[in-house]
Amino acid sequence: MSDALVLHDWTPDVRCYAVRLGLSLMGLPFATRAVDMDLAPGQRPAGLESGLCPPVLQAGRTRLSRPCTILLFAARQPGVAPTWLDPVQGWVVMDWLDFGATALDTLATLRTAAFGTTLPVLPGTVPLEALLRRMEDHMAARALAGEAWFAAPAPSIADVVLFVVFALSADLGVERDTCPALRRWARGLRRLPGFVVMPGVPDYA
Amino acid sequence: MERWHPVSVLSDLHRGEVAGVRIDGHEVVLWREDTDSATLHAWEDRCPHRGMRLSFGFVREGALGCLYHGWQFGGTARCRLIPAHPNVRVPAAIQVRTHMVREHAGLAWVGMEGAGAFPATMPVPWPVVQPVRSVHVSAGAGLLRHALGMHADVAMTWRGPVGLAVHAPVAGQAMLHVVRARDAQAPSPLVLSRWAERLRDGVEGGGDTTRIMGELA
Ligand code: FES
Repeated sequence: MSDALVLHDWTPDVRCYAVRLGLSLMGLPFATRAVDMDLAPGQRPAGLESGLCPPVLQAGRTRLSRPCTILLFAARQPGVAPTWLDPVQGWVVMDWLDFGATALDTLATLRTAAFGTTLPVLPGTVPLEALLRRMEDHMAARALAGEAWFAAPAPSIADVVLFVVFALSADLGVERDTCPALRRWARGLRRLPGFVVMPGVPDYA
Repeated sequence: MERWHPVSVLSDLHRGEVAGVRIDGHEVVLWREDTDSATLHAWEDRCPHRGMRLSFGFVREGALGCLYHGWQFGGTARCRLIPAHPNVRVPAAIQVRTHMVREHAGLAWVGMEGAGAFPATMPVPWPVVQPVRSVHVSAGAGLLRHALGMHADVAMTWRGPVGLAVHAPVAGQAMLHVVRARDAQAPSPLVLSRWAERLRDGVEGGGDTTRIMGELA
């Protein structure tokens, strides 16, 4: 039996959502320690040393603080279906995971800029649109090849991260009728057992 | 614009699927029944209850359900169930505005208000047509039509076994819809998808796209 997983979680953060969604889809039980990053560091509940931002996963003595690394770690846990880190397509999964890590950071930065102000001004979404376009071109080609997921015959952790990027980009006013291949793929991911929504955000995808 | 708009390849509208599209700024929801008839519908993308976009909804048992409070609209566009009041007979006045819709040449065509009957004069020069892909182009539809050598009043053009159609979701934006004859001589769907990306990039870059169009010759 492996060590119990504890996730230091900040609910509205997109990277935390990617981790919660991934752990849930992979069927891994975990305990949550809520961290409110809006509070001053001294007022936050103990457990997360200063300088660390959620998501942080604690598993015994292992402590991980990057969402995609946490998902890689989770996909290797006993009892998790090997398809989440497909052994044959592993490198392709990692490649899209790396792309997804950058995209997730871009999304998080834009969301902070958009919602961290009282002005109803949306930041330029050009960087995000460029990322979504690459994803759309890829999934259009995958669909024509009879494939339903980004990197492997079954959903992988790369799909989890990229789903969050696509689903939450709607919040920033990025239109989705221009991404038909991503729309169909995202609907497929929503139908997977263990799917969870991001609280406070409409189920756009 | 009083005419029929090609808005999506049919391969993006399988049974039970919902898609939001825009046509000259108007939001339209396309959905296909999950029933044997698999009828395709095009409605205004707004729930009569609180205005939620119906394209966020789900198709179940031949009806489109709104994501917000679950009101269900059957094929006639009338509300048939309000989940919060399951025993209330729903007033007939509660219904979604509908548009005309046709499936033709591998594409879904929507007739907005004022559009006449579906033009019988839109020939398809191939016996079996296969949808390839709808591609977003961040440039005006006029620029894209120009690159394709299309007149402003033509909705679709054929380059040998490749069919190309354009619509404008909003001003300054375009969607390019690509279909192909199911024919051994036609470029493969994947080749056409990559070609459409090159054309898109060429049109957006404002350069000369003659060479890219020439690839279809
Ligand atoms: S807004 Fe559609 S059911 Fe309430």
